[in-house]
Amino acid sequence: MTGGETIRVPPLMKQIEDDVRSAIRRRLVKHGMPAYADEQVFERVRATLQHAADGRDLNVLLLPELLGDEVEWSLVPNLTLSSHRSSIGTVILLVKRRILLPLTRWLFEYSQNNFRRQERLNRILLASAEELAVENARLRADLDALRARLHGGQGAPG
Amino acid sequence: MKLACVVHRYGADIAGGSEGHCRLIAERLARTHDVTVITTTAHDHVTWANHYPPGETRVGPVRVIRFPVVRPRDLHRFRDISDRVLTNRANASEAEQWFRENGPQAPALVTFLETHGRAFDRVLFWAFRYYTSYFGVPLVRDRAVLIPTAEEDPLIRIDSLTPFFALPRGYLFLTPEEEALIGDRAAPDTPRRVIGCGVDPPRPADDTRLAAAGVTGSYVLYLGRIDPNKGCDRLVGHFLQYVDRTPPANRAERATPVNLAPAKPVLVLAGPANMPIPEHPLIRRLGYVDEATRDALLANARVLLIPSPYESLSMVLLEAWNRGTPALVNARCAVLKGQVLRADGGLYYQSALEFAAALDYLLDHADVARRLGAQGQAYVDREYRWPTVIQKIESLLEEIAPRSSLTASSSET
Repeated sequence: MTGGETIRVPPLMKQIEDDVRSAIRRRLVKHGMPAYADEQVFERVRATLQHAADGRDLNVLLLPELLGDEVEWSLVPNLTLSSHRSSIGTVILLVKRRILLPLTRWLFEYSQNNFRRQERLNRILLASAEELAVENARLRADLDALRARLHGGQGAPG
Repeated sequence: MKLACVVHRYGADIAGGSEGHCRLIAERLARTHDVTVITTTAHDHVTWANHYPPGETRVGPVRVIRFPVVRPRDLHRFRDISDRVLTNRANASEAEQWFRENGPQAPALVTFLETHGRAFDRVLFWAFRYYTSYFGVPLVRDRAVLIPTAEEDPLIRIDSLTPFFALPRGYLFLTPEEEALIGDRAAPDTPRRVIGCGVDPPRPADDTRLAAAGVTGSYVLYLGRIDPNKGCDRLVGHFLQYVDRTPPANRAERATPVNLAPAKPVLVLAGPANMPIPEHPLIRRLGYVDEATRDALLANARVLLIPSPYESLSMVLLEAWNRGTPALVNARCAVLKGQVLRADGGLYYQSALEFAAALDYLLDHADVARRLGAQGQAYVDREYRWPTVIQKIESLLEEIAPRSSLTASSSET
């Protein structure tokens, strides 16, 4: 490295990231993931999961669309106070808001932070499942194409 | 030109990012233009409690008109509505309500823009997420320039903002990443510039300030608000893991002749704290520091650490580079990573292991670290000196002559 030469960050980062990934892989192999003894397998799995976690808007996924109405399956971390009683409902709501809510707010907020984390993790897991489904669909398409080529080379059946 | 700068808070003693950016730009523009800042009486960015007297005043070279906040922010209500809006599950009316809850609610400011906004040649708005911009831009859209100061947080993705981002006549972005976040939601061919912020050449640092602050030996620096929202809880966790995982003997063996500093650096945290900081012999908490101490800390730090996941520019990064100090930044923030890559001015990390490896590298390769810092300084010289920044702003202001055909509309007045 000469004095006037620009030091580029990407190669430095590649070296650091490679070292870290290698350390993670060795630790996982040591603790019971023999599949990762193959560096390529590890790298493909890592890239797929990384893309699911980082490379997309977690609010825009296919699986939630297929699960139907979101209120039936998603966590609702915000608190909505309501009453089904028409006559004294206003009084009940006032009691809930002014007396019960301040008393229990600390517990609600403690749970709310955990709900938020759980909600994010759920979304990442949905994204991971979707990423694997996409990967699977691509592999199937490749397999079908290979089969077609193979059968074509041997002469079309029938 | 007669210019208005609209911002949610304004004052020489207000340290916020977009507010500080507004003040620096307004004061520079006031050298050649008639500048009026239109703002609220709020000082506290959490409650928006009225603090300054309403009405007209002067702050430095700038005329300032302040309008009262009619309701302090109700954090419970704000948090509840945020959960729906930020996951894009809210309808347009709930999204609009979010901007009221976020505040600072100053309807008189909006009325002023409606009645007097057209008396200004251009109206510049800072920070899209606040009431002042959300309800103000539509009223003067034919002459509005938005400086969104957008971060990659969930708000930027909500559908209800699409029509809003199509309104401004021009955009001033802080970074290319911010421009990409707004993307094609700006109207086609909307004039835009990426300006960042101007930085003056560094003053000589008074190194005696370090000893006065109790900082001796090798240290890495975090400078700013010490807050979980700024990633500081994870920074402290990463640093403690790093310290525990790296035996001093190994570090000493790997030290180069030019790196004779102690095996483990001290983490210096300088800034007001909003979170508990663990007692540890290698963590030094300074609290708020004055300008001179800040300069000395930046000039002498081995590395500046920026753990924030959300930044639209990061002035402290530019200040560190201005003094030739390399940075280690959170790669989950696209802006920080992008800045480091454009400048070749430091390294980045995504996890505790990467943090430790990158910090180790910078500490063990002092010559490389110094050159990364110098490259950061060259980047600041290239992109962020005031004449360069002001020239970009002036050229945009010239380009966007107001169109009389655009009419005002607002749901807030």
